[in-house]
Amino acid sequence: MDDRGTLRKLIVDWLDDRYLFGDAAILIKSEDMSFLENGILDSLGFVQLVLMLEDRYRIKIDRKHLTRANFDSMNKIISYVAARAVFPS
Amino acid sequence: MSFQSALFLGVFLPAVLALYWLGPRRAGWQNGTLLVASWAFVWTWGPRLFPFLLLATLVNYGAGLALGALRTEDGPEGAKPNGGGSRWLLAAAVAYDLGQLALFKYLGFFASTVSTVGGVLALPLSIAAPSWALPLGISFWTLQQVGYLLDVHHGRVPACRSLLSFATFSSFFPQMQAGPVARTDLIPQFVEARRPSLDDLRTGAFRFFRGYVGRFLIAAVLGEKLVDPVFSRAGELSATAHWLAVLGYAGQVFCDFAGYTEMAIGVALLFGIRLHENFEYPFLAGNLMEFWKRWHMTLTNWLFDYIYSPLMTGSSWLRGRLDLGLFITFLASGLWHGAAWTFVLWGGLQGAGLVVQRHFDEAYRGLCRKDRTWVARRKTRGYQIAAWAVTQAFFVVSLVPFRAASFREAAAFTSGLLGRGAVAMPRMGNTDLLNLLFCVSLLAGYYALRGRRLAVPAVARGVIYGLLVVYMAIFMPLAKGTFIYAQF
Repeated sequence: MDDRGTLRKLIVDWLDDRYLFGDAAILIKSEDMSFLENGILDSLGFVQLVLMLEDRYRIKIDRKHLTRANFDSMNKIISYVAARAVFPS
Repeated sequence: MSFQSALFLGVFLPAVLALYWLGPRRAGWQNGTLLVASWAFVWTWGPRLFPFLLLATLVNYGAGLALGALRTEDGPEGAKPNGGGSRWLLAAAVAYDLGQLALFKYLGFFASTVSTVGGVLALPLSIAAPSWALPLGISFWTLQQVGYLLDVHHGRVPACRSLLSFATFSSFFPQMQAGPVARTDLIPQFVEARRPSLDDLRTGAFRFFRGYVGRFLIAAVLGEKLVDPVFSRAGELSATAHWLAVLGYAGQVFCDFAGYTEMAIGVALLFGIRLHENFEYPFLAGNLMEFWKRWHMTLTNWLFDYIYSPLMTGSSWLRGRLDLGLFITFLASGLWHGAAWTFVLWGGLQGAGLVVQRHFDEAYRGLCRKDRTWVARRKTRGYQIAAWAVTQAFFVVSLVPFRAASFREAAAFTSGLLGRGAVAMPRMGNTDLLNLLFCVSLLAGYYALRGRRLAVPAVARGVIYGLLVVYMAIFMPLAKGTFIYAQF
């Protein structure tokens, strides 16, 4: 599995465990689907997701980017983190 | 002047719309017309307060430009705030806005609290409370301006370079009185020239009318005929009367504020400006977080974007302390709603409710990890109805301190809910009773038909609207009452 694939699995597992009770694969119908508009993630979940990504990938999410819109879909999250994280080789 | 006044409906709005759309189709003309109209609108609330609005607009415009200029060149993460200078400027500008709010809204509250504490402790701490009039909409305006400064500081939006566009955005009269809280993503709408759209005009007029019915028919009747008579005799009447009154108050606050919001969004649409939505059927929410995603959405988003998220994800000791963050955020919400300890209690209740819900969800997830049948149970109709009932009951009962004028009244009303009073119901005439039933039916119909497009012929729709207008003209005289949220 490539880095993006690993990251995607991590996010799906986290969402399943924290919010979606195992239904992430059913509820996330496309990589661009809005998490906020479709009830996948709320404001509390957004903050917990940011904390998890910062801790897991040792990145610091800049205040400029700390908006829910920047983490509102699988594609956005993966693109943001993949551009900044150092993946183990 | 307010949305319901004859002056607004008969003279002000038609005149401003005519000037706006019949003049040159340029952003400068449109903004100039809107700005003069907005200032005239604000002027009618009290000319003494007008200089504060002008000065604060200039301060925030200048601070925004300076904050934008202080950002360094683009790096790998984009432009950065230029260290200390930018932070000091931001702090000064935000302190100016919050200081103005504190001066008008919280100084009296602070003085009376100090005096009360002094009385209890027998200390000479008495402070004379100033009695300045609270400028209408200052709480909403402050959130808008602080949000703008923070967004520019963090580089989420560029500073608005046009003073005319910024002043129009800052003083846009449809949302000045009680929101929806304007965010910086609205600014581009004030930079470009707007074009008239028949659909916008039609939708705007309809939403104004719908809001008018909500506020001046349903909320007014619920308030005058059911809520006020029981709250004025809190603790004396039967438990049924108290429960009906607090349920009625939930309906009243919703229709009052959502009604105002509909009117504001409708008027803005008449000028081709799209404000943010503020309500999405909150009484359907099945948990408290969902409730706050649906009720006063622009305030909830503001609180989470500018208080909760930065507190929880920063590098301070608060990082990750989610319960404390929720509690602080909703205490701030309570204090924002009103300068009284009853509002602080109400905010604290919401924060505590969200903390309890968060821990309940954590515990439930633990059960699900061990046994997947708990996942299926969560999806049953019984679970969902129970979750909905608990959520709505919590919110409705938490409105007691929100509505009560004092802790004493809140306590008396709460004891009334538990059935201490003797008298069954306040006296009510047949017309009042019919009005109440009619209003409750309208509210229930609004929820039952949500999102559906009914194939009602235009003539029949016109007749229904006409009858409603006649009904309101008879029972609801113009310029009666003020918006609950306009007092905040």
